[in-house]
Amino acid sequence: MNSIQQRLGIGLVGLLIITGLVLAQISFWLLDQGLRRYWQTHLHHEAETLLAALVRGANGVELDQQRLSASYKRPYSGAYFVVVFPEQQWRSRSSWDYHLPLPKTRGLHAGLVDGPEAEELLVYRADFRRYGNNIQIITAQDYTPILQSFHRWQWISAGIGMIALILLVLVQRYLVQRALLPLEKVRVQIAQLQQGQRSLLDQPTLDELKPLVEQINHLLHHTEDTLSRSRNALGNLGHALKTPLAILFSLANRHELNAHPELRDQFRQQLQSMQERISRELGRARLAGEVLPGAYFDCAKELPDLCSTLQQIHQRNLQLEWRAEPGMRLPWDREDILELLGNLLDNACKWAHQKVAINIVLEHAHYVITIDDDGPGIAPELREQVLTRGARLDEQIQGHGLGLGIVRDIVEHCRGKLALETSPLGGLRALILLPAIRT
Amino acid sequence: MRILIVEDNVALADELTADLKRAGYAVDWLADGRDALIQGAVEPYDLILLDVGLPGKSGLEILREWRATQMHCPVLILTARDHWAERIEGLKAGADDYLTKPFHPEELQLRIQALLRRVHGRVNQPQIHAGGLQLDEARQCVVNDSEHIELTAAEFSLLRYLMLHEGKIISKTQLNDHLYNGETERDSNVIEVHINHLRRKLGKDLIETKRGQGYRLQKN
Repeated sequence: MNSIQQRLGIGLVGLLIITGLVLAQISFWLLDQGLRRYWQTHLHHEAETLLAALVRGANGVELDQQRLSASYKRPYSGAYFVVVFPEQQWRSRSSWDYHLPLPKTRGLHAGLVDGPEAEELLVYRADFRRYGNNIQIITAQDYTPILQSFHRWQWISAGIGMIALILLVLVQRYLVQRALLPLEKVRVQIAQLQQGQRSLLDQPTLDELKPLVEQINHLLHHTEDTLSRSRNALGNLGHALKTPLAILFSLANRHELNAHPELRDQFRQQLQSMQERISRELGRARLAGEVLPGAYFDCAKELPDLCSTLQQIHQRNLQLEWRAEPGMRLPWDREDILELLGNLLDNACKWAHQKVAINIVLEHAHYVITIDDDGPGIAPELREQVLTRGARLDEQIQGHGLGLGIVRDIVEHCRGKLALETSPLGGLRALILLPAIRT
Repeated sequence: MRILIVEDNVALADELTADLKRAGYAVDWLADGRDALIQGAVEPYDLILLDVGLPGKSGLEILREWRATQMHCPVLILTARDHWAERIEGLKAGADDYLTKPFHPEELQLRIQALLRRVHGRVNQPQIHAGGLQLDEARQCVVNDSEHIELTAAEFSLLRYLMLHEGKIISKTQLNDHLYNGETERDSNVIEVHINHLRRKLGKDLIETKRGQGYRLQKN
């Protein structure tokens, strides 16, 4: 029961069924009671009529047949009476061979009494005193037709209730769906957020959703802020460390040091390793990866700039080509991907004779990025060595592998794979697989 | 060649100035971005070294404003921020090259040489070829028919300027503007003296005097 729709549906239907049943039961009971009271009055009247029909005749007290209603004469008509004298009883002709049980108390007998021919009878006893005798007059009336009509009405109302229930459920479904529409919109937007197609959620129209969306947006802003602040701080740190390093490099180049070449070389070597360590660690520290859902790399927007930058840096007659499907976006932080592609393309440009090509396609839930050059390439047995060289900084050979080191960091950060192959252009191909579906 | 260094770190600026002076460039130094914005646009620099993080105004802002006013002087950005995103931003703002700190002084020299040659429409060669001469910038000497001729610092920078402008008439004012920094006393006689020294070392016909206009390095 994980959907609000289902929860509301089950809750509503349960509640409606219980209320419906209770209400129906109560109303039938009230109706029944009302009817019985009515019949009680009627039976009391009948008893009084019977009393009035008792006349003193030639053989003592007798019943004036003229005053009796016809239904007492027709057998099993549904209306019966018994007049009880101390010594004798008179039964109505309609009771035929049926003996009406005599109630012990006055008034309407609680419950129904089994009558002839599966009839159920309301029985009323009235006590009188006439002609010096205590007389009990018991009248009974068949209640079955009313019970039958009750049953019929029960079925009809149950049917109406069911139909009303189904209608209600349908209406409720529709209303809930309409009410949850903004929630669905937010869900879609969050999915887009994850795919890097948007950077913020739209403000919803629903008051209940506003705090949630505001909180999410606040969180996004906060993450973005934190990231840019930490990047700035790292940039400042880099600046603070690298400017003195630049001065030291310049000092190490002073001709005064030429008299001590050993000292100068040591000096330079240590400076070099400091520089590489700083670059690598700062580069690694500023990786964003999946922190920012709104940040993405728009191929058609970024690749031309990157290519022209490389062209400007290398200043050779290099043909730099890029290919990506129109509108393709890589769902990772723009600066991370720029760093990844920039370093790999820079390497390719360094070694290429004339051509460098970058190609990005989406295949089987992976972004496949290939960077080809027509340079000398790397022998297959050496490729593994080149890839691992940047992996552990302390084993790193001076001045090499730094670019690949940060490339490896980024690829690992994006849970991707990096491989070196032979390019169809003749040189080296760097192949990167980045999983398109984030976990 | 006159170079403007815009760098707020005094120690680095001192080192750069010393290095570049040794390499025969006239160097001006500014630390504040607002000063650089004005001076870079007014003075006839051959190249500007621009730090990105500057007090007053950021390097990229200055560069954008210069480029918006059609200022074409080549600009080499110096920055500690070595990320591609920043590199792209710098080059989009109108930088001609990008060098990240820390750098080797040789690297900077090579970049400056390459940039100056590119501005003057020359292919990137290790030496400047003009007027039948080869100028070795690293050793500050000239090779004429496989004969090495040593030059003084002043002669070297004068000859380099003329060689980069091979075949063009260069006025004395222009030479004064581009060979000396803002603090040097301008004296036209100095230029004439150095021209005469160069003629004595390299032959009389090499540099032509155009009366009332200036000098011209013969195109070979």
